[in-house]
Amino acid sequence: MGWFDDNFIPAVDGVAYGLLLFVVAAGLTLAFGSGGVLNLAHGTLYAFAAYTATAVADGSWVGLALAVLAGIGAGAAGGGVLAALTAPIAGRGHMAQAMLTFGVALVGGDLLTTWFGKDDPQVLVPGALEKPVSILGHNYPGYRLAFIVVAIVLGVGGWYVLARTRIGAAVRASVDDPEMLAAGGISPARVRTGVLVAAGALAGLAGGLGAPIIGPSTSVANTVLLQSLLVVVIGGLGSVGGALLAAILVGEVQTLGVTLMPDLAPYLLFATMAVMLIARTARFGPTGSRV
Amino acid sequence: MTPASPISRRSFRVTSAGLLAGALAFTAACSGSAADDKKGGSSSGTLKIGLTIPLTGVYAALGPDLQNGFQTYLDQHGGKLGGHKIELVITDEGDGPATSVPSVTKLIKQDKVTAVVGLTNAATVAANVQVVNDNKVPMIGAVGRPGKIDKPDYVWHTSYLSEEPGVAAAPYIKENVPGAVYAIGPDYQGGWDQLRGFTETYDKAGGKLANPDGKTKFTPFPGTTNFQPYFTEIKNSGAKAVYTFYAGTAAVNFVKQYKQSDVKDIPLYAAGFLTEGAVLGAEGDAAKGVFTSLNYTPTLDIPANRSFVAAYQGKYNALPTMMSATMYDAAAVLDKAIAAAGDKVTPETVNAAISKTGKVDSPRGSWEFNPSTHAPVQKWYLREVKQDGTALSNVMVRELGTLG
Repeated sequence: MGWFDDNFIPAVDGVAYGLLLFVVAAGLTLAFGSGGVLNLAHGTLYAFAAYTATAVADGSWVGLALAVLAGIGAGAAGGGVLAALTAPIAGRGHMAQAMLTFGVALVGGDLLTTWFGKDDPQVLVPGALEKPVSILGHNYPGYRLAFIVVAIVLGVGGWYVLARTRIGAAVRASVDDPEMLAAGGISPARVRTGVLVAAGALAGLAGGLGAPIIGPSTSVANTVLLQSLLVVVIGGLGSVGGALLAAILVGEVQTLGVTLMPDLAPYLLFATMAVMLIARTARFGPTGSRV
Repeated sequence: MTPASPISRRSFRVTSAGLLAGALAFTAACSGSAADDKKGGSSSGTLKIGLTIPLTGVYAALGPDLQNGFQTYLDQHGGKLGGHKIELVITDEGDGPATSVPSVTKLIKQDKVTAVVGLTNAATVAANVQVVNDNKVPMIGAVGRPGKIDKPDYVWHTSYLSEEPGVAAAPYIKENVPGAVYAIGPDYQGGWDQLRGFTETYDKAGGKLANPDGKTKFTPFPGTTNFQPYFTEIKNSGAKAVYTFYAGTAAVNFVKQYKQSDVKDIPLYAAGFLTEGAVLGAEGDAAKGVFTSLNYTPTLDIPANRSFVAAYQGKYNALPTMMSATMYDAAAVLDKAIAAAGDKVTPETVNAAISKTGKVDSPRGSWEFNPSTHAPVQKWYLREVKQDGTALSNVMVRELGTLG
């Protein structure tokens, strides 16, 4: 009981952190898997949404709902811009598109500081969520607990859309065989645009909901991009299930790792990635990117 | 000798070209100063002062506090220091030496400033010591100051030594906290110095840290945004109080998360930056009851502070912070030093005059430079975050004695 009790809060926190990363990384992996864009501006979309949500939120429940919607809107709009920008060079491979999105990230980051200032604004959330909640005798921030619940609901919903609906089928088809999809009467270009907007909306959703956890700042875009790239790499490119497991793993490494192996904590994240890459290469060969 | 002659001929050519360029530059410089003379004599010509302050990065929120403090002094003195009109040149400090060294170098080499002022990050100061000593231009830091500078010839601080907030607070904490204290801070120069000041003094006073390994817990900087795991360790250590130093966004995250965690009822002591300025507004009610140690509080009831606070609030509609006060003092120091330099105002004469500044009548009370560290000998205060009218403020609890 002692060990469990001592490490209970970091373990729960790892889930909260992991689920947030999962929502971001799901967008990243979707954009790459079916949109074909390695979107290095994905973190910037998160930052844009987090700033927007922070500007909208006023500490009321309605404000919170509007903030999340505004975040989704901001992310989706950003995704739309990226879709339009990358469309002309869609045929020139991943590198060209990655460079373009990298440029967008740099310009976007600068625009964000111009619009929202260089301060790191704090989100106002309803007072009831600011209070600690007691679980098994421990205090835990109410907002994070609520976030875990919401993220699980969203995850189940997302899985349902992807696995059980026509839109989900089209998205999956665009990953596996875009030509066959086109033959079926659905324009791959429209699916591509739709996928990038949806991926942006996911980053926006994460930014809107996650602003109180990983708040808007001048460095947040890089932090979020780096960690969600890690999630995607560990989980396997294009694999949503893999991304979920990887995100929880990354979350736990960053929370539980700090309490269990404090001296190694700064290196654990990348050590985890290295171990996972070696293990996967050994199992699937150097190109076996999809689990 | 024969084989060497072509080389020496070439080097002669290079040397003569260099001399010619030097002569040109010299002529240009002479005509420049002649033009200045015509405008009204060298003793009242415009001087450039360089501000290197964080415009980007973790400490960006502090930038306006710094600039506004300096500007308040200029506004009160007709835009002049020591009888000279002042032109401010502002450059970015960023997150550390990568940005700040080019910024300071540019101020010295290109803008030919009389002094460099600002600098929040102790690592920034450390990296620029060589730059200002080599170029013989005074640098007046207003915030972070590395613990040990071997040759502070051209380096001055109107703030403090980074250890001092902890040194000032430790005896009080030892006396008033019944049990072990947990020490935690950011893993960089400023954090090491700040926490060392506390732990060494606390240790000497007979205190024992609650940290399981008996050493301060350092968190990755600037990457740490989630402090929950550390709070779990604090809880498990059985600490009766926590001592810390964080500033900027990290301070906001630390305080807000602290008050929602298992350790929310453990008293929190810190170096003043944890609740200073814009950071306090962002923390809101979560900061209530936090005790901090610093050399300034806007509630200090002395005439110099009352007029400073009134002027600052009137223009910027915000309470001044420690950074505003130390920048205000940096301007006051330069005012005296430039006036004392008389007809020959050069960075070197100003630097020499700074060492003879004597007592500075500051918003935080009177202080003077320690001749060996080039940092203030001054009083320290224990402050508690309380509601003060409509806003939260760092309200004075008691004096902690004089350090420096």
